[in-house]
Amino acid sequence: MDTTGPTPDRAVRPGGARGRSGGLRDTLEGYAFAGPFLVAYGLFLIYPFFKGIWISLHDWNLLAVAFNPAAKHFVGLKNYVHMVWGQHLVWGVDHLVWARAIGLAAVVAALALASRGRLPWRTAVPLAVVGVLLFGVALGIHPASDGRWYDRRFWHIVWNTLLFVLLTVPSVTVIALGLAIALNRQSRHAAALRTAFFLSQVLSVTVVTLIWQLMFSPKQGILANLFRTLGLQPIEWITNPQLAMPAIVITTVWWSIGFALIIFLAGLQEIPAELYEAARIDGAGGWRIVRNITLPALSRTTTLVVVLQIILQFQVFGQSHLITRGGPDDSTQVLVRYIYQTAFQNSRLGYASALSVFLFIFMLGFSLLQARLQGSD
Amino acid sequence: MKRTLTLLMAALALSLGATAFGQTEITLGRFFGACEQAGTDIKSAVGEACIIQSIINAFSAADNGIKVNTLPTDWGNYYDQLKAMFAAGNPPNIFVIHKHAIPEFASLGALADLGPDLAQVGIDPNDWTAAGKAAVTYDGKIYAIPMDVHANLWYVNMDIMKQAGLVNADGTPMVPHSPEELLQQAKIVKEKTGKDYLTADFSQFPIGVRLVLSLVWQQNSELFTSTKANVDSPEAKKAVETIVSLFKGGYADPTLNYNDSMQSFINGNAAILVNGDWVVNSLDAQTKDPKVALKHFYVDNFPTLFQTPATWADSHTWAIPSTLKKQNPDEYWAALKLAKWIYDHDLDWARTGHLSVSKSVIANPAYAALPHRQEYANTVNIARDVKQTTHYDAIQNVLNRQLQAIWLTDKPIDQALKDANQQVQDILDQ
Amino acid sequence: MVGSRGRDRVLMPLLTVLAVLWLVPVLWMLSMSLQPNELLARTTSNTFLGLIPIPFTFHNFIRLFTLGLTPRWFLNSMIVSIGMTVLVLALSSMAGFAFARIRFRGRNLVFALVLAGLVIPEQAVFIPLYTMFADWHWHNTYQALIAPRLAVPIGVFLMTQFFRGIPSYIEEAAQLDGANRWTLFTRIMLPLSVPALTTLAILTFLYAWNDYLWPLVSANHKEMFTITVGLASIQSNFAQSEGLGRVMASGVMASLPMILLFLVFQRYVVRGIAMGGGK
Repeated sequence: MDTTGPTPDRAVRPGGARGRSGGLRDTLEGYAFAGPFLVAYGLFLIYPFFKGIWISLHDWNLLAVAFNPAAKHFVGLKNYVHMVWGQHLVWGVDHLVWARAIGLAAVVAALALASRGRLPWRTAVPLAVVGVLLFGVALGIHPASDGRWYDRRFWHIVWNTLLFVLLTVPSVTVIALGLAIALNRQSRHAAALRTAFFLSQVLSVTVVTLIWQLMFSPKQGILANLFRTLGLQPIEWITNPQLAMPAIVITTVWWSIGFALIIFLAGLQEIPAELYEAARIDGAGGWRIVRNITLPALSRTTTLVVVLQIILQFQVFGQSHLITRGGPDDSTQVLVRYIYQTAFQNSRLGYASALSVFLFIFMLGFSLLQARLQGSD
Repeated sequence: MKRTLTLLMAALALSLGATAFGQTEITLGRFFGACEQAGTDIKSAVGEACIIQSIINAFSAADNGIKVNTLPTDWGNYYDQLKAMFAAGNPPNIFVIHKHAIPEFASLGALADLGPDLAQVGIDPNDWTAAGKAAVTYDGKIYAIPMDVHANLWYVNMDIMKQAGLVNADGTPMVPHSPEELLQQAKIVKEKTGKDYLTADFSQFPIGVRLVLSLVWQQNSELFTSTKANVDSPEAKKAVETIVSLFKGGYADPTLNYNDSMQSFINGNAAILVNGDWVVNSLDAQTKDPKVALKHFYVDNFPTLFQTPATWADSHTWAIPSTLKKQNPDEYWAALKLAKWIYDHDLDWARTGHLSVSKSVIANPAYAALPHRQEYANTVNIARDVKQTTHYDAIQNVLNRQLQAIWLTDKPIDQALKDANQQVQDILDQ
Repeated sequence: MVGSRGRDRVLMPLLTVLAVLWLVPVLWMLSMSLQPNELLARTTSNTFLGLIPIPFTFHNFIRLFTLGLTPRWFLNSMIVSIGMTVLVLALSSMAGFAFARIRFRGRNLVFALVLAGLVIPEQAVFIPLYTMFADWHWHNTYQALIAPRLAVPIGVFLMTQFFRGIPSYIEEAAQLDGANRWTLFTRIMLPLSVPALTTLAILTFLYAWNDYLWPLVSANHKEMFTITVGLASIQSNFAQSEGLGRVMASGVMASLPMILLFLVFQRYVVRGIAMGGGK
């Protein structure tokens, strides 16, 4: 990095930098400081983002276009229709009835909380509207017996991705929080344990998957070997559709607990010691201190961990790609791997871009939801 | 005077440059795995990775002005990365490609039409077997140089078969001739030895797909043609049921992946291994290790369980990007010379267990004398491949997914075949 | 600090056992890297579930150093990770300083646009980036591996938040002393922001080190592989059963420096985050 810096000649005159009015100098200096980032931002994020949307409106074969730039065809929203829609779709009350009932119950609960003043209306109403549209209407749509989704795999893969996030994020958060509370003390022993639990975080995804692929192997795996010595049948993790997803969740939790642990430890160290003293004088025991002091004080830290985890885990790729290859029967196929394969295996760049835009909207939706809920704290 | 001198110097520099810097460096893309210890001694190399790398190294080291830089050796992502390299405008100068992938790449204009230039480097397509020629021909043009035909074989652990009493008087293993006989053999092996009857990679690479394809062909059917999916046929169902009956009886374990199944056979835990011909060489090397349980094995042709003998096969071939000849003729001709060199070492490549596509190699007594070669001599006659399609990779993925769903997740066969049929049809309609 | 002594007697041994179990996968990898390949082809549980490397060999590591590309991949990962970290720190702190401490025209609008970028996932841009870099002939270069991450606004967000929290009298005092903006930034603001920079550095470095999808598509010459892609390339090929020890040795090679780095810096890691990121 060069250290000459921007606008040295302009800034030498003292006093000028004090202008707080948004004058010409401030404007120039502001853009000079923010400039390098803004250039990278525009070039490597904003421009490709809109280019991606543009590609998604085309029938665009990776290889064909590479040899002949004119080989792409504008198809409008066809890729999106193909992705989310189908032939002979019908709406049924009873389709996915339990999931929808639970969802609608949550909507009712949110409204109930709002009416008691526990949740602001400005949070509850948008939530309820989205919830009713999603659970009441959208999830009731399904193909009739003679119908089909245009992309038969898509919604299943969306669900897998969501399931992965729903299993991973709470596990990582709860385990990291528990360990942080237990290990937040000044002893060599605790420090050693903190190191042990953090260690796996520094391994790269390929090392992690390399180890766990073998850990789970019914022939070579350490668990299998242990089971066999005990005279038990080894568990077939990776090839069992019920266990393949848990297997990559376990791998992910093992791998990504370290960073969450450290953020929690940092949060714990910011809680003033006087709070604990006061509680102790009041005669509060260990669990009550945790519940009444530690957890409330950590609420913002917890939000931070959850948000970071959600963003990270939605983009899961390596674990699915390297351990289970999306299988068996697509049970661990996730969105990013589907995007990768659509683009680079099937060469369908247009459709892959449409999938990427969907992932963006999906994550944006979650972020907004999270922001709404957080805003109501 | 000064000017003449300058010109002279320039000419001298050019001629010197031509000799000193006349090295042409070409890039080569392949899978087969890494063999970092490969030297230039082709004769002593064992296994696909090391044999091919020593052939390449020997060419690179030879005094021909050509250096070869071998690019990725990754199997799982090979075609993805190849496509990515093409799309980025820097494909390897020469690369290995399966017969089944040639239509896709050739139809998009990615591969050079080599036909007119073969004679110039001394490659004679008349030396190629019919199967070799068919492998590299698409739309009437020659897009690659064939290296082998590789087929599924029937590897037999003779010690287990002896114990089960399934050995003929002449010392060859008994082979099943129908699904019923297959199941019967499996039962006998299990009862007499307690071992699994058959092992193969049913959970990872598409070896299960190849097995089903073979059994479908044996019933004179196809899983798909160039326009029509035919996966939910009675023949396909029969083929799948035959394999599933082995799982149901506990005679085979569908959860093993490629390495697991190899380990299982090497450890003497299964009587039969179904795998490609590329492991003949490495299995042979393994049996020489006194600690390995597998002592004696026989390499049989894939058995005929229905009417027509057939076993799945494919070919490895070498292709060159279409853009290279115009962009850099030196590299183009260097790549072709390397292709000839590899073809000239087809006998060495055949040591892996692969079937040669060179008539002169096949006529060479040394070829017939390769270990186990006589045992599966008939495989070349029963080897079959899928119909040419530009979407084979995608189709194979669908089939692998649905077949694994059957044996790993107990998905009903009818449902899985119906789903596979729809999905394959979707791909063919694209 | 929390909790009583009596509970500790149960809790700490329990956690110790858990920590040991937590490390089993890593220990197993280490142990396998020290066993002969021929043995591993037969069994991965020779001595005490394979956790003790008996029979013992250094062969895998010797091979790795004399023949393999693993050291090269490791170096690539280092260059990319360090380069990315330095650049992200520089760009983010400068932009964060501008957004937090300079009132320039259009600041709020630009900042809002930058924040909007927080929700764009890498996957939404990697295909266009791929074709763009292909047009520029950037693939298989270090800049192609580094550049995309420079655009991610999380660092700017973090630094802006941090700079906003610095009391304005510090700045004013410096200005009275005649310092210009650049001096103010380098001499006053940057030293104050070491905790925040540490957090951002760790986040960025870990991200760079573990990135897989982008290097997988962008670097396809094996000399340009990062350690993640390189390791994936040796583990997913057919030769694995013949070289498990080798693959594991590469895994150890890839991890050991990171682990050492962490052990050396772990005090700063926790402290840095405690002061910078917990807010």
